[in-house]
Amino acid sequence: MRPAPTLSSAFLQPAGEALPQPLLALRKQRGTALVDMPLPTRKTENWKYSSKHLKLSDELASPLPAGSASTSVAEDGYRVVFRNGVVDSEASRLPQVDGLSVQRFADLPDADATALAERLDNTLDSKATQMARLNSARFEDGLLITLKPDTVLREPLFIVHEVTASASGSAYPRIYVDAARHSQMTLVEEYLSSGDESVMVDSVTEFTVGDGAQITSIRLNVEGQNVQHIGATGVRQQRNSRFESHCVGFGGPLRRHDLQLRLEGEGAECKLNGVVVTQGKQHYDNHTCIDHMVPNCNSEETYRNIAADESHAVFNGRIHIHQDAQNSIAEMNNKNLLLSTGAEIDTKPELEIYADDVQCAHGATIGQLDKTSLFYLVSRGIDRRDANVLLTMAFINELVKQIPVEQVRDSANERLNQFFDHTFREA
Amino acid sequence: MLSIKNLHASVEGKEILKGINLEIKAGEVHAIMGPNGSGKSTLSQVLAGNEAFEVTSGEVTLNGENLLELETEKRAREGIFLAFQYPVEIPGVSNLQFLRTAVNAMRTHRGEDEMNAAEFMKLAKKVSQQVDLDPAFLKRGVNEGFSGGEKKRNEILQALLLQPKLAILDETDSGLDIDALKVVSDGVNALRAEDRAILMVTHYQRLLNHIVPDYVHVLAGGRIVKSGGRELALELEERGYSWLGVEDEEAAAH
Repeated sequence: MRPAPTLSSAFLQPAGEALPQPLLALRKQRGTALVDMPLPTRKTENWKYSSKHLKLSDELASPLPAGSASTSVAEDGYRVVFRNGVVDSEASRLPQVDGLSVQRFADLPDADATALAERLDNTLDSKATQMARLNSARFEDGLLITLKPDTVLREPLFIVHEVTASASGSAYPRIYVDAARHSQMTLVEEYLSSGDESVMVDSVTEFTVGDGAQITSIRLNVEGQNVQHIGATGVRQQRNSRFESHCVGFGGPLRRHDLQLRLEGEGAECKLNGVVVTQGKQHYDNHTCIDHMVPNCNSEETYRNIAADESHAVFNGRIHIHQDAQNSIAEMNNKNLLLSTGAEIDTKPELEIYADDVQCAHGATIGQLDKTSLFYLVSRGIDRRDANVLLTMAFINELVKQIPVEQVRDSANERLNQFFDHTFREA
Repeated sequence: MLSIKNLHASVEGKEILKGINLEIKAGEVHAIMGPNGSGKSTLSQVLAGNEAFEVTSGEVTLNGENLLELETEKRAREGIFLAFQYPVEIPGVSNLQFLRTAVNAMRTHRGEDEMNAAEFMKLAKKVSQQVDLDPAFLKRGVNEGFSGGEKKRNEILQALLLQPKLAILDETDSGLDIDALKVVSDGVNALRAEDRAILMVTHYQRLLNHIVPDYVHVLAGGRIVKSGGRELALELEERGYSWLGVEDEEAAAH
């Protein structure tokens, strides 16, 4: 038998020695633990459909050289730009709001860096997020966003994650958000790329959401067709907090996002919306996991996948209701639209319920555009392309409309139009 | 305006229309009656261009133009309108957006400017009052959760907005109570015009009390077996179809 493939040692040589000592030490320790880490294969349950798309050649192990900017949705407003995983302070515009601090990891005093080092990774289940562990061994920089109690950020903060690929390599952007009690913020993460060399982005964003805090996280993934993206978002929620997530993603050679939430304080609630659109031979894999740890928490999850051509979308939604989590309400809904006979969508709801007084509902469907509806629309003189677009948009409209930041909605709609032009061009 | 010559059509290999001949002139109202399974709905669907039906021979022209060569949307732009027997529910597409897209597709085809949202809203509200449909229905999904009568009124609303040359009404009276029948009939009568023709397909003659046809045809077994004036409808009402040597399949099944 062939030995299972392991992570090449080339990936365990981090760049960026400007980090404070405690973080360098953490990174080193994480790296040591990854020596000979088996890579996911078809037999690795959480990578069953995606392992064959994960290509980790040694050339991807190199850190990316500095590059130039491309166009972001964040033309105005507060923003922090990560370029190839490193914060570009000059391109950033930080809000001056009492109670908010946005710091580069590199700028942290040792005491703060020590505190951060103790908390990094603590929102994620390391077994289920193999590639997030690689981020912990490789991040060159990062952003610590701290909201003091009662701090309310009225405008969204945009994080522009950009890779500029003038050579092959990988980037490891890292964010840690600590939102203290009753603070509020909307964070937009936009993943972009320019250039066409082969690139891997391995990103991790963590949130700790204090009592009564309200955090909205928006994630727009529009990287190019040269970029493999593996991202993880971990969230821990305290009492009466609310976390809302809107993920919009367009496919690539590999797009993977793990979203893990732990509802740890009573009365916490989360709402997760996701839209994925794939075409050509693209691949997109969303894995979500919600842990109801304590009583009286609500979760609501709605994901939609649209796959055209020979593309492949995967949704795996896990809800874990722990024994003490009585009176939990959990709703998960995943609908999927296949726009061609060559496209594939795999969906798997996983409910694990150990409490006896809970309301749990889940539904998953896979279908095609309805021919009768299409005939009805064109019989009114509506152009066939437009009729297809109306029916496809009907499938995701509700989710796009709920994205609370206009620039993101506009950008998503613009990308959707490009997708429709491609997909319905012959109609 | 509409000329149908020896039209044969089948669905899933089964021939339903077996040689239809029909001439309809501008300004005329024709009614096609017939027992269930005679091919009435098939004729409507074929004229509108439903690809589930295959035309095997014959010809159909609209003002001299070969209709059968045109795709559904082009037929609509040339002036064919089918009021569906079973209007389709399309959740997620607002009725208003649907109607405006359709009206603007027609306007673009005629070389006119598109209507903006505000202009269109005004027009749509006016026409929905004409068919006694609460304007709140404009904001719902297309036919989503509409009652049978509301769906039919939404069909007539579309006809009034799109102003077709030939309006085909497929069992528009079915499922309507007497008040709704009156509203729908008033809407259809408002469509009557010198440059427009109406083809009504119906099982019952009661609709014809409200929309008085110029000609009545009996369709049976995929052919028109009898044509006459409106008095033919009354005769059918009294005597049924059997005197024409036609079995009502529904009756025969019982």
